[in-house]
Amino acid sequence: MTMRRPLAKWLVILGVLHAIVVCAGFFAPYDPIEQDRKNPYLPPMPLHLLDAQGHLHLRPFAYALKLREGTFDQYEQDTSQSVPMKFFRSGAGYRLLGFLPSRIHLFGSEDARICLLGTDAYGRDQFSRLLYGGQISLLAGLLGAGCTLSIGLCVGAAAGYFGGWRDDALMRVAELFLALPWLYLLFALRAFLPLSVSPLKAFFLIVAVIGAVGWARPARLVRGVVLSAKERDFVRAARGFGATDSYLLRRHILPETSSVLLTQAAILIPQYVLAEMTLSFLGLGVPEPAPSWGNLLSNLQQYSVLVSYWWMYLPALAMVPFFLGYLGLASSLQERLEPYKIERRSPGSLA
Amino acid sequence: MRFFFRRLRHACFLLFGVSILAFLFTTLAPGNYFDEMRLNPQIAPETMAALRAQYQLDRPLPVRYVSWMNSVLHGQMGFSFAYNSPVAPILFVRARNTLLLTITATLIAWGIALPLGVWSAERFGRLPDRLLSWATAALLVIPDLALALGLLVLTVRTGWFPTGSMTSLDFGSLSLGGKFRDLALHMTLPVAALVLSGLPLLIRHVRAAVAEVLDAPFMLAARGHGIPRRTLLYRYALRVAANPLISLFGFSIGALLSGSLLVEVVMSWPGLGPLLLESILSRDLYVVIDGVLFSTMFLVSGNLIADILLYWADPRIRTESAAR
Amino acid sequence: MKNRRAGPHWRRTFLCSFALLFLSLGQAAASPQQKSIKEELFVLPGEVGKRGGRLVFALRGEPKTLNPLIAADTRSREVIGIMQADLVHINRATQLTEPALAKSWKISPDGLQYTIVLRHGLKFSDGQPLDADDVLFTFRVYLDENVHAPQRDLLIISGKPITVRKLDARTVVFRLPKTYGVGERLFDGLAILPRHLLEKPYQEGKVSQIGTLATAANQWAGLGPFRLKEYVAGQRLVLERNPYYWKTDVNGNRLPYADELVFLFVPNADAQVLKFQSGETDAIAQLSAENFSVLSRQLRGYTMVDAGPGLEYNFLFFNLNDLGEKTSPELTRKQKWFREVRFRQAVSAAVDREAIVRLVYQGRGTPLWGLVAPGNRRWGNEELAHPPRSLERARALLKDAGFSWGNGPNGESSLLDSEGKPVEFSILTSSTNADRAKMATLIQDDLKQLGMRVQVVPLEFRSLLDRVTQTKEYDACVMGIASYDADPNSDINVWLSSGGTHLWNPSQEHPATAWEAEIDRLISEQMIARTFAQRKKLYDRAQEILAENQPMIFLASPDILAGAKNSLGNFQPAVLEPYVLWNVEQLHLKNAPENAPR
Repeated sequence: MTMRRPLAKWLVILGVLHAIVVCAGFFAPYDPIEQDRKNPYLPPMPLHLLDAQGHLHLRPFAYALKLREGTFDQYEQDTSQSVPMKFFRSGAGYRLLGFLPSRIHLFGSEDARICLLGTDAYGRDQFSRLLYGGQISLLAGLLGAGCTLSIGLCVGAAAGYFGGWRDDALMRVAELFLALPWLYLLFALRAFLPLSVSPLKAFFLIVAVIGAVGWARPARLVRGVVLSAKERDFVRAARGFGATDSYLLRRHILPETSSVLLTQAAILIPQYVLAEMTLSFLGLGVPEPAPSWGNLLSNLQQYSVLVSYWWMYLPALAMVPFFLGYLGLASSLQERLEPYKIERRSPGSLA
Repeated sequence: MRFFFRRLRHACFLLFGVSILAFLFTTLAPGNYFDEMRLNPQIAPETMAALRAQYQLDRPLPVRYVSWMNSVLHGQMGFSFAYNSPVAPILFVRARNTLLLTITATLIAWGIALPLGVWSAERFGRLPDRLLSWATAALLVIPDLALALGLLVLTVRTGWFPTGSMTSLDFGSLSLGGKFRDLALHMTLPVAALVLSGLPLLIRHVRAAVAEVLDAPFMLAARGHGIPRRTLLYRYALRVAANPLISLFGFSIGALLSGSLLVEVVMSWPGLGPLLLESILSRDLYVVIDGVLFSTMFLVSGNLIADILLYWADPRIRTESAAR
Repeated sequence: MKNRRAGPHWRRTFLCSFALLFLSLGQAAASPQQKSIKEELFVLPGEVGKRGGRLVFALRGEPKTLNPLIAADTRSREVIGIMQADLVHINRATQLTEPALAKSWKISPDGLQYTIVLRHGLKFSDGQPLDADDVLFTFRVYLDENVHAPQRDLLIISGKPITVRKLDARTVVFRLPKTYGVGERLFDGLAILPRHLLEKPYQEGKVSQIGTLATAANQWAGLGPFRLKEYVAGQRLVLERNPYYWKTDVNGNRLPYADELVFLFVPNADAQVLKFQSGETDAIAQLSAENFSVLSRQLRGYTMVDAGPGLEYNFLFFNLNDLGEKTSPELTRKQKWFREVRFRQAVSAAVDREAIVRLVYQGRGTPLWGLVAPGNRRWGNEELAHPPRSLERARALLKDAGFSWGNGPNGESSLLDSEGKPVEFSILTSSTNADRAKMATLIQDDLKQLGMRVQVVPLEFRSLLDRVTQTKEYDACVMGIASYDADPNSDINVWLSSGGTHLWNPSQEHPATAWEAEIDRLISEQMIARTFAQRKKLYDRAQEILAENQPMIFLASPDILAGAKNSLGNFQPAVLEPYVLWNVEQLHLKNAPENAPR
């Protein structure tokens, strides 16, 4: 019973984080693609309860930032102009969960904008971009990992279980897939897609393709596990009792692969989210102006951004809980799915 | 022995397949090397057509494939449009640099991951193990690119290491010891980036594999026999847990040529990375195809080595393949 | 043969003769002096520098070849420019021509014949003398169809090649088939090749195969300030001073000052910045505005210079190709808008050029309304209208052209064409150029305010070129071109409807529109005009026509940004390529070690 607690903990954490991202429209104060050309690279505006005179306010507020004369990106705080935070305010329109049209945002402000995480090169609110970006990126991660693992599992299990020439052939193909210059295929793919395919659709297509061609690695791991699993005594015994191939695979062998698959999933989902960073470097990522975690991170690829605007790191920090959540979920799942291992683990054993 | 030859045959088949598919892909991608000249207002389209003809870019694919094959068999490995020279000498120098970097990094990474993974598995679920899990998770979360960039920024700030390239300008005039020191100094950053990005995955796999074995009844029995802890862990547990680790080691070898491309580009290491990236972007076809072929060769030999090791380490596989 | 090469006895002397004295900064003041001594050296004015030391620069990527006959990429050309020399050179600071290997030249009254006299006592970097035969050989190779030298197209005027003949050992006569407005600027960048090294490979048909980077130092020679010393694959190219170089400073010290010039190869601009910031290189050029401000923020023993507007012009253009049968119905529909001049004018009026300059170039750039970039001091058309951004004007133009507004799916205003279809199109940009991608994103937002739904599609550069110049399947594209010379004729193929870089509709057999025909006429007319004033007038008119019709919607032109260590003497970045290294022979290290090893 006690062992279930970490699993539940991770599920709750991930659930909350995903809910926030799914309802990005409500939590984000502004339209993520709205440019404010007067305020590029605006640093984050901290919220205050105490004003400069030391008076306490019940409503949190931020001080407006003013561009210093003659500079491009140097701002100073204007303590004479406070921007109070307004809750449940009407603002830019969005569709909650993709279909409910709404204008209500968790918070907003009246005259100046409150940019909690600052703005980017076009003066777009980074906080809103972070939340909206999660929608695209997590979808891409799930899509890519789903494609990879389902193909990898089928091929790996088939190769490992049936063995012989089928194993040989499948593993040769796997090697081929690992070796091929997929970058070229991706270039070709993007270049051949008609331009009327919206860039976002093109991106998801590319992610699906990357996911689909990435099956070779998990397939090899699955095959390794299946190879050793099918020689286990209980499998041999079951076969001796006349179990069919599909029964053996389903009942005895595939469950053995779950720990490999889950470890892989936990690694692959964040990996596919991050892979977008590389893709955007090649012009295959989520195109501007749509926000995504990959293109928020790829800002950091520029040396000038890296050393000039510290708040551009903040989205990266905000993503860490997601990635850690997935990793944590995977390890707890692993523990839970192999109960025999845990039962036997009394404190101090093998210490 | 028969096992080995069968594997070798597969390897040849694979290389052949890859070369054909790489050829196909490279021609699928639009544009060719001479396209950039189109933007040079001074060069007439006729000149470009003549250049394309001279380099056989207007010939059908099978013809080009055969002539490339021919050149591979003669040790030239095709022709680089950009460098205007056979590909082989261009590629070999850089492949050597890449290998120097990746072999060092792979050795270090495995050298750290094995003891650390075993250590962590031994303390499975307890505080030190959890701390290490968090540390590896944190490293996994940081993208390789950010890691490399971060190290670079650190270097610029501190001036401890040179920012990229492989040797100093005076390298030729240094003594042997000085040369070694200079090289080591230049290698520190890229090796650190490679090790840090590869390490978490290795540790997690070693830990998972060993932890699984430690629970097996025979381990309890062995412990009951009073076998010392160190022998138990490294002689018995690790050997049994070796199966997935050997596959992983095969991957490590396979990635020797292709695993460091990004780091090389960021750290200005004169290896295959910068060359291939530039060749891909400028459509210097044969450089790319040969680069792919090279890394396939490594992949294949990595698998071969892994298979042989598995054969040696896992009696189940041995008996199965002998039975065949 | 051998006897001729042994030629006149040559004595190594400094300060032998003055050829022409030029001020390399801004004002050109010539005061020729003559002395009857064998070596006629070019005396460069300016700060007298210190001899010795090693200059280090980082190149973005590796040069590919040392052979001027095949060099196609900018890095190779940059390196070759330092190892080779031309007959007549364009001074990158004054943007005017000055004598180089040619001591002087004379143009015949009909403008067809150029008589060029070489300097006395010129030698290649391997010590072999240069004479008229080398020049003849050079142009024979350039013009040879089988060599495919990129220089060939420069030397063909109206389909006919320039002819060259030798008068005596030091005099050559070039004959043009037609008068050529550019005049002697033609010779800039045409490296004079060493016949003694190239003749044999040329006759064997292998001239394009030599001069790889792996060439041994004694197998290669040039007339530039530095010569080959060592190449380390993937890492660096080391050049050493050419002891036979034909320039001296005012004190008679033979140039160049530095003993060695090292090019480090780095993969990208950021690595270049890192190397400079950590003090590993002496100077840096072609900086982006972001990197410039990073470097300016903390000056660690270096100076940053904004050399002013350069010659790069960025523009948006629409697909105006006539593909006939092959046009997809979708493109046909879109081209109906694109061909409407008021549509293009409206787009131009809606583009916020000031925002582009501020957000893309951090203010270090100039908004642009015409093809001649502001860095081109002599040729800009001052009269050209610079209408400010106006969405009202844009809307009025669109309304005038039959467009109307309706409501889009999310309730936003949407522009409709005369058939009631929404105006949607995509803009291509190169994914490897961050600046242009930024421009496209800004334009997208600008046009959204007119109700146009625009998508930015970043494509990797070759794929983009393939679409724009080959398959012609695109709607619109943001691109940039950097002229290599301040004479607008360097962009002649952009102007002419038959040109390959007439991007919106390249290589036309007959001009598709009346205004393109008119531009063609003006440009061909200026080709044979003899005076600057005549040519300028014709070009001004052509610029006006271009601005009226907006086939290219000009956006902005970035400043040339550079920096150098404080210890680098004579550092004077120019707005022409090679921005920092144009006076490499004069660059010197103030802290160069005494008696530096040679």
